[in-house]
Amino acid sequence: MFTLLKLELEKLFRARSFYLSFVVLIGFVVLMLWGFYTYAARKTGGEAVEQFKYTYESKQYFNGLTFALYSLLFSFTLLLPIFVSMSAGSQIAGEARTGTLRMICTRPISGASLVLSKFLVTALHAGLLLTFFIGLNLVVGLIFVGWGNLELYPGPLNLVDVPGKIMRDDALMRFGYAILSGTWALLVIAALALLCSVVFDSPVQATVMTIAAYLTLYIVGRVEFFEHLRPYFFTTDMDFWRDVFKPEIPWQSLWHYASVCGAYTAGLLLATVVIFERKDIVT
Amino acid sequence: MWVKLVLLLLFCLMIAGAVYFAEPSKSEESNSTSRTQSSLRLLTWNIGYAELEDDTRAHDKDLPAVADVILREDPDAVALQELTGEAQLKSLLGLLRGKYRGAVAQQGSGDRFEAVLVKDARATFTPVAARNRYALAASFRSRRDSPEVVLLSAHADAFNAARRRAYTEELIDWAQQRSQSAPVFIAGDFNFELKAANESNLYTDNLKHDSESYSHILHSFRDLGRAAGDTAINDRRIDYIFGPTDLNRIGRVEVLRNAAVGRMDHWPLLVEVGF
Repeated sequence: MFTLLKLELEKLFRARSFYLSFVVLIGFVVLMLWGFYTYAARKTGGEAVEQFKYTYESKQYFNGLTFALYSLLFSFTLLLPIFVSMSAGSQIAGEARTGTLRMICTRPISGASLVLSKFLVTALHAGLLLTFFIGLNLVVGLIFVGWGNLELYPGPLNLVDVPGKIMRDDALMRFGYAILSGTWALLVIAALALLCSVVFDSPVQATVMTIAAYLTLYIVGRVEFFEHLRPYFFTTDMDFWRDVFKPEIPWQSLWHYASVCGAYTAGLLLATVVIFERKDIVT
Repeated sequence: MWVKLVLLLLFCLMIAGAVYFAEPSKSEESNSTSRTQSSLRLLTWNIGYAELEDDTRAHDKDLPAVADVILREDPDAVALQELTGEAQLKSLLGLLRGKYRGAVAQQGSGDRFEAVLVKDARATFTPVAARNRYALAASFRSRRDSPEVVLLSAHADAFNAARRRAYTEELIDWAQQRSQSAPVFIAGDFNFELKAANESNLYTDNLKHDSESYSHILHSFRDLGRAAGDTAINDRRIDYIFGPTDLNRIGRVEVLRNAAVGRMDHWPLLVEVGF
């Protein structure tokens, strides 16, 4: 198992797509910084003050932690799942496409161990992506925007229903929690993509199918027509990761949804293993 | 084989965890109707119709039903929105069998009026100008020996969040000044679109304006109806009763979801407080 993991890690670190995902995230942070900077300047400048008498959007509000939070919440929904799907979707189907899967399966290893090692490597990739992204946002926020406390208001970001505040050191800790909760939520996508990777022989097909399923449920879940179906979508359960940014973390709800996501991940992985072991590998 | 067993075990553990940590269903709010000496019962209701109707203001044919609800719930004061004018208020007061006095606000830029009804025969009514609209305040006592309180009936713009924000700012300026001499309650349809639960909207200026408005109110007032849930169709909580932050007690808080008649799109919000 350890040898398998080592080999899979080597493959991951050699893949161009691995580095590409980090480059794209850097590009996103640069874009966010530009948007945040100009927006903050506009909202704390003369024009905004003339239009309205009262605002919480002060120089104190627009700090590095707020920047990191906005950047993370905006990207988590659509950007990170794409990279996780790409990484997981290419694990088995990629081997099949390059013709190496059959050779791997001739070695004295079980199909289950192979699937598990590939999943663990994808999980590591997801964790590294999130850690890198959060770290980069915090560093960029510190250098270019400056630090302060994390102020939260009802409405934007939908985190609180009354104004709240998280002190700087506590907020930094919350970003640490977000690495764990966010990675755990992304594992559902990783497991789904791995399943697609076993079912489909093309990595592109596996990735597209995963993203399509994710986006369909994500969008449908936000249309009121399907409001009664919303609780049954895994995309709804995945949202639990954001709870770590609430002034009082709702631990019970967090553990509940984390368990639901864990059940999705374990269930999908189990299905992947069963299907893979019964599959006739012809490439 | 062991991998499959571990995954199966993990799956079962996670299901068990999800069940174990599932939040118990919230028990019903206390609906006790008992009243204490210092309590004040307030009701706010936008009695207009949904956007699909030709005339979205209150309809005369619904007034008996509105009066029934008011008589049944027996609030000390009522804030109403979207009346067609003075004549409609008079009809309603007639249906209330003289138990209430009332007034409508001056006409602003729109075609609908805010109104306040109070039981206190010595109540005074004050129009409050906010941007190009008018709210209406009533100063009254719930009992002879009770301190004077002020109830403001307000209705913010339904279509423009920036206008809602400007309106709210002026209203709160007035209320803050008035609250130095008497407790002020602000009730009405603010049309704030702030749905925090289980949604992840991306950032919009409209959302931010409503957030700024709501947060600004909460600097000086308390949202008394928060626990009662949605007040309008399509799962919207857009009707509010805000009160002083130092209230002794919040009693019954309820959205009367069976009260709407015709094509009304709002339900009345009832709040009972002690101060």
